[in-house]
Amino acid sequence: MIETHGVTKVYADGKVKALDGVDLSVGAGEFVAITGPSGCGKSTLLSLLAALDLPTSGTIRVGSYDLQHLHNADLFRRQEVGLVFQLHNLLPRLSVVGNVEIAMMGSERPRAERAKRAQSLLRDVGLADLLDRRPPQLSGGERQRVAVARALANDPSVLYADEPTGSLDSRSVSTILGLFEKLRTDRGVTIVLVTHDVAVAATADRTIHMLDGRIVVPSLLAP
Amino acid sequence: MTLFTLVIGNIWAKKARSTGIALAVALAVMTVVTLTVVSNGLESAAAAVLTIGKADFTVAQKGVSDILYSSLDNGQVAQIQSTPGVESSVGVLLETERINAANPLFIEIGIQPSDLKPFGVTILAGTAYGPNAANQVMLGWRAAQVLGLHVGGQFHANGTSNTVVGIYSTGISYGDLGAMFPLPALQAYNRVPGSVTLVFAKVAHGYSVERVRAGLEVAHPELTTIRTASEFGRADRNLVFLKAAVTGSTVLAVLIGAVIVGNTMLLSLFERTREFGLLRAIGWARSRVVALVVSESLVLALIGSAIGVGLSFAVAAGLESLPQLNGVLHSSFTAEAFWRGLLVGLGMAILGSLYPAVRAANLTPVKALSNE
Repeated sequence: MIETHGVTKVYADGKVKALDGVDLSVGAGEFVAITGPSGCGKSTLLSLLAALDLPTSGTIRVGSYDLQHLHNADLFRRQEVGLVFQLHNLLPRLSVVGNVEIAMMGSERPRAERAKRAQSLLRDVGLADLLDRRPPQLSGGERQRVAVARALANDPSVLYADEPTGSLDSRSVSTILGLFEKLRTDRGVTIVLVTHDVAVAATADRTIHMLDGRIVVPSLLAP
Repeated sequence: MTLFTLVIGNIWAKKARSTGIALAVALAVMTVVTLTVVSNGLESAAAAVLTIGKADFTVAQKGVSDILYSSLDNGQVAQIQSTPGVESSVGVLLETERINAANPLFIEIGIQPSDLKPFGVTILAGTAYGPNAANQVMLGWRAAQVLGLHVGGQFHANGTSNTVVGIYSTGISYGDLGAMFPLPALQAYNRVPGSVTLVFAKVAHGYSVERVRAGLEVAHPELTTIRTASEFGRADRNLVFLKAAVTGSTVLAVLIGAVIVGNTMLLSLFERTREFGLLRAIGWARSRVVALVVSESLVLALIGSAIGVGLSFAVAAGLESLPQLNGVLHSSFTAEAFWRGLLVGLGMAILGSLYPAVRAANLTPVKALSNE
């Protein structure tokens, strides 16, 4: 599903090498966690996989898409990618339904269907009773569940989550991780989750460890 | 949810900023519409002069700054009459006088009684004055109503008291708001013996009006002919300058307004960086982000334009009530004024929002999302 070869990302006129020859492979429907200390390149790798940025060198393929030669990166993200951020990034002036619907604007889904689908997704994540609320009226866990619903709005083939549980309490963490597992088993969504929390990473099928922009073998990491 | 409902929601969420933009547009539109209606009113009033005599065209001195400064002598009047194709010509002296505070520019028409009928004048009451009568006047029926005078009454003008011998109608509002004097009497009072302001010419049957005009202008290059209000600038440069000033003001209003709108939209962009980064990250196309920003600006422009037009009514009424302009200024609210106001508002919105919109659309999602 996801293949990278020799991916490098350099910033600041060559002074900062965020990624250094990353080779990665993720199978369809697999749940992979990427861990590592702050600044190791986890989030950078995720942004490249989501076509939010381009690598300095190397190749990235997601499904049938070659991300270096995308005709329309916006369309790729809209159709194939679901994104969940640490800070949920919900729009405070929109309702919960509106925050999910907004991801479907510009898609081929008819306007009348968008609200129905948004409500359906919110029911799936356990927020059926909070459809008219606005983000400031929700708890951290509830907001993140809205973010997950938004990420699924366009039936993506892959879900990228960047520290989705980073600011949540333990109960909300369990809820979110349960949702991810359900997505994988019920919908076959490929999930790549970035986290520095080892316990969260343990819930994935496989954990990839990064250090200084490279994927490393766990035994090479400092204890 | 549609783009429109999203736009309305965004505008409502930032009421202070939205009000600021709408007010900026309103003030610009108010200024432009007011200037336009005032200009139109002055043009209509000035051009109304042309319609008094129901002529095919009017002849004036070429190159004067104000049509009332046009001066044609007896010889020129005779030459116009003898121009091939001219059936009849009526030489008329036009002057204005301050009668009272409500009539600071009362129109006085000097015309021979023998020219009254060709000029299209109908006597409604009383009789016409004699050709060399002194201190006799005919009042237009509207003027008689305004001044409260009848046949036999006394009309004080030209430094003397004049007996109202008749009430007339020309069928033209502007003409019916004035007074007619024997031509020699008005010439004498204004110290312009043998001079008329305009000659109203009728073309004989079978002749082309345009050819007769062209022939006259070729034969007498010191003269110009006017047929429609749009040609008025040929004989009145003040109006041309006024219209140029209105156009210049319109352009300035759009530019200044666009800067204000653009500045405010840019501030909004900085505050909404994460929002725009999110929209791009979840797959919004650049064009949709541009459409969102420009639409917000356009909706505010429409609201501001409506407010501006409303304000222009009040401002124009206020101007008309000023002592210096009372009776002189008659605002003319035409479709052109409203369209110009709308175009100004929309122009400001589009010009002002384009740069912020394009900038929002080209934000790098990764950087935008990490923005504090």
